[in-house]
Amino acid sequence: MNERIKPKNSVMALYLVPIYLVYLCVFILPVILAIYFSFFNFRTVSSKTFVGLFNYKKLFTDPLLLSSLKNNLYLVLVCMIGQIGIAFVFANMLYSRLINPKVSNFFRTVIYFPVTLSAVIIGYVWTMIYDYHFGLLNQLLISFGFPDAVKAWLTDERSIMTVVSIPMIWQYVGFHLVIIMAAMTSIDKEVYEMAEIDGASGFRKAVSITFPLIKNTLSVCVLLCVSANMKAFDHILAMTNGGPGYSSSVLALYAYKISFAENNLGYGNTVSVAIMVVMVIIIAGAKGIMSLFKSKE
Amino acid sequence: MSEHVKSINSVSKKRHNNAERPIVKLFARILLYAIPGIYAITCIFPIVWLFYTSFRTKTQFSKNVLALPEYLYLENFKYVFTELNVGRYLFNSARITFFVLVLVLLFSFINGYFISRFRFRFRNILYATYMCNLFIPIHAVLVPTYILIVKVGLQDKWYSIILPIVCMELTTATFLVQSYIATVPPQLEEAAAIDGSSFTRTLFTIILPTAKPILVTIGIITFFHCWNEFAYSLIAYQNEKNFTISLALMRFKGEYFTDYPRIMATIFVCIMPALILYSLFSQQIIKGMMAGAIKG
Repeated sequence: MNERIKPKNSVMALYLVPIYLVYLCVFILPVILAIYFSFFNFRTVSSKTFVGLFNYKKLFTDPLLLSSLKNNLYLVLVCMIGQIGIAFVFANMLYSRLINPKVSNFFRTVIYFPVTLSAVIIGYVWTMIYDYHFGLLNQLLISFGFPDAVKAWLTDERSIMTVVSIPMIWQYVGFHLVIIMAAMTSIDKEVYEMAEIDGASGFRKAVSITFPLIKNTLSVCVLLCVSANMKAFDHILAMTNGGPGYSSSVLALYAYKISFAENNLGYGNTVSVAIMVVMVIIIAGAKGIMSLFKSKE
Repeated sequence: MSEHVKSINSVSKKRHNNAERPIVKLFARILLYAIPGIYAITCIFPIVWLFYTSFRTKTQFSKNVLALPEYLYLENFKYVFTELNVGRYLFNSARITFFVLVLVLLFSFINGYFISRFRFRFRNILYATYMCNLFIPIHAVLVPTYILIVKVGLQDKWYSIILPIVCMELTTATFLVQSYIATVPPQLEEAAAIDGSSFTRTLFTIILPTAKPILVTIGIITFFHCWNEFAYSLIAYQNEKNFTISLALMRFKGEYFTDYPRIMATIFVCIMPALILYSLFSQQIIKGMMAGAIKG
């Protein structure tokens, strides 16, 4: 292929090898090191002792690791329903011909804006919204006449994961909205017109036309949502730092806390290895399930 | 004939029963504007709240958190730029972002070009190694990366997180270039070669300009990821003078979390660059970030 313009091997190597080496040293080497370090116990960064499978024994009996994984899975589920669900509904509303396209585009632009902000800022802003004394949420509850509902949102262990997931849903609705709307523009307008002549309602159009026709795009959204929430980290660190206790801890945050707050770098590496394994399984699994759906079509 | 009329009647009747009745239509229209509209307000209101509260004092704020400022109180902003030295952190983030942008564009252009145009030995291995990035989140390599950074003496060097961020972005960017180059006809290079242009010259003076649209897209994606980057700076920097804005904000949280208007002024200043860029180029940004997300 393209043999006539293909440069000499040495020229190609000169271009590709340096970049590849950088990538190997900076990204792949830590992956290998994580596995290697997971067999050690660190006292400081530079003094470590071999402990064999000790860390792995701990890993499989660690209730906090399991609860962190559960929190990840909870986030995946809630964000999948929240982000993609809301985005799908909004996409259908904004795509309706009853709404002025300029206004609809403006709404889309505004709703997308939080996506461009950093997770730390989102976490920060929502910490203020949830604040007990000065938070917007409690102020709104009081002014709308629900003073009983006022509480310290970020310190209640039972509801913490829901409380934490709301900002994450809120931030990324715009992201999925834009993807879904782009997929909808590729649907032939005539299909909708025909349906309207037959008297289909907006709801009916969304369920019977839009949904099946953009199934592939929706599955991309689901995949993105799964991988984003399996690596949730910044938002939660900024809002609760995994607290109270470890009740809102997620895998990445747990590895971070083990390594830096508890100074246990060896076990931190073991948890990192566990994260990699879980990620590969879950993403590969999600892709497998998606492809099953696709072939059924 | 009568059958024909009947069928027309039934169609119009059907229409009449559904969304076409004026009152139903009006109601539907109100909902269509109101629901996404209210949601859009929730997206922008926190920013507006941050903005005007920045001009209030702590005591005014504790009396009523939602009220507008009574007069233009500028002490918070003065504090942000003199005491907190936010300018320094903005500069740090901008400097890192600049170098990351240059390297990601260069690296991904070269990688994407070769992978797309030629079949060569090790191509599949190359491809597979770059794919790893899509499965392994950077959060899983934070701890070993930290040890590595400390071991090679890069901790608290301002440039220490540039290459990690470059590698984080490289895979998606490479794939974007790859699929773009596939649409550029190879006759372009053939003609240039016949005219006696060397390979390197063709690559940078002929192919690079044609790839401009995709490079702009990559630039947008990389800019926002890098500007908002947090995890790597968290492990790489101990010394305050190297903090990026995200990290600095995180650290302020512990120290100054009682003075809300002041914190809000800080956050607002940190949001400003993204806000200005977004209001100027929102359509391009949305398009670019979406392309990156779907390819990645």
